Amino acid sequence: MSSYRSRAAAASSAEGGARGIGVGWTVFSYLIGGMVAYGGIGWLVGRGIHAAWPFPVGMLTGLGISLGYIIFRYGRQGAVEEGRGNR
Amino acid sequence: MTGDVQVLAAPAGSCHINIKGCGYPAPGLQDFDFQTIFKIGGFHVTKPILIAILCAISVIVFFGVAFWRPKVVPRGVQNLGEMAILAVRDQILRPSLGRRGDSYLPFLVSLFFYIWLMNLMELIPFFQFPSMSRIGFVWPLVLMVYVLYWYLGFKNQGVWGYFRTMIPPGVPWFILPILLPVELARFFIVQPFTLGVRLFANMFAGHLLLTIFYLATWYMLSLSIGLLFFVGSAFMVVFVFLLELLVDLLQAFIFTTLTATYIADSLERAH
Repeated sequence: MSSYRSRAAAASSAEGGARGIGVGWTVFSYLIGGMVAYGGIGWLVGRGIHAAWPFPVGMLTGLGISLGYIIFRYGRQGAVEEGRGNR
Repeated sequence: MTGDVQVLAAPAGSCHINIKGCGYPAPGLQDFDFQTIFKIGGFHVTKPILIAILCAISVIVFFGVAFWRPKVVPRGVQNLGEMAILAVRDQILRPSLGRRGDSYLPFLVSLFFYIWLMNLMELIPFFQFPSMSRIGFVWPLVLMVYVLYWYLGFKNQGVWGYFRTMIPPGVPWFILPILLPVELARFFIVQPFTLGVRLFANMFAGHLLLTIFYLATWYMLSLSIGLLFFVGSAFMVVFVFLLELLVDLLQAFIFTTLTATYIADSLERAH
């Protein structure tokens, strides 16, 4: 019985670890993804209007959007356990 | 190896005993460039390529020997092989995919042990180079994982359905155009990039650190500099060596675990 419990505990711990790694890297990808996407858009706009400022402004905007999205997606208690967080 | 020998040869030959006129031969990118050993047509075969081929053959031979004529009660190499497979199954595959992912076990086992062995090559004398510290060796693995990831996702949900489920339910429709660039950048650029660069950067930094302290230990083995520095650097060699033992395993584990979570993600959306 105790062996079954310890195996179940180990499996649960491994599951939590795998999910944690997946979610951690997804959150990191969102942070960088926001900056890449909106930084890219800002860079294109900057080239169009011959100005440098849209690039950093775009990156900061992207970072802000990413943060909001991460809070929306993972901030709720139990959001990760629902399986929405593995990506 | 040629890079290492070239750098080592300078202080070993003349400089490290009488350091006048000689400086510390700082390791750098030149330690990751290797001379051609032989050519096959126009293809230049170097040491990292040979290491990669040797690792692939070693993994194939090991599991081939272990399960050539499997016995009900495992003995010898089969025992070791089963332990290796069960470790990947219980620590990587099952936590992410559950029992329905067992058909992906051969892929994940091959991936894990190939990466682990490739990484360990930085610590094995004579080889002493992790091929994964050359990013060209990492991209094919990332491509393989991503082709599988997308193929499974598209197969299960169709291209449109797959991208539609990227956005979680409950997001207001007017927010979607704002989130779409973030999701696309994450999916097509950042996620594959981080998967590859993490493995490459860890191996690159590890090999550079080891080379720095190996060389420093050798360089400072001189009374004119001070044996204390030599001892400190020698301690760091042992420390970084042990650290790299851990990092090698950890990087193989993370790469394979993320591969398993990607596969799980593609399969999950079908349910």
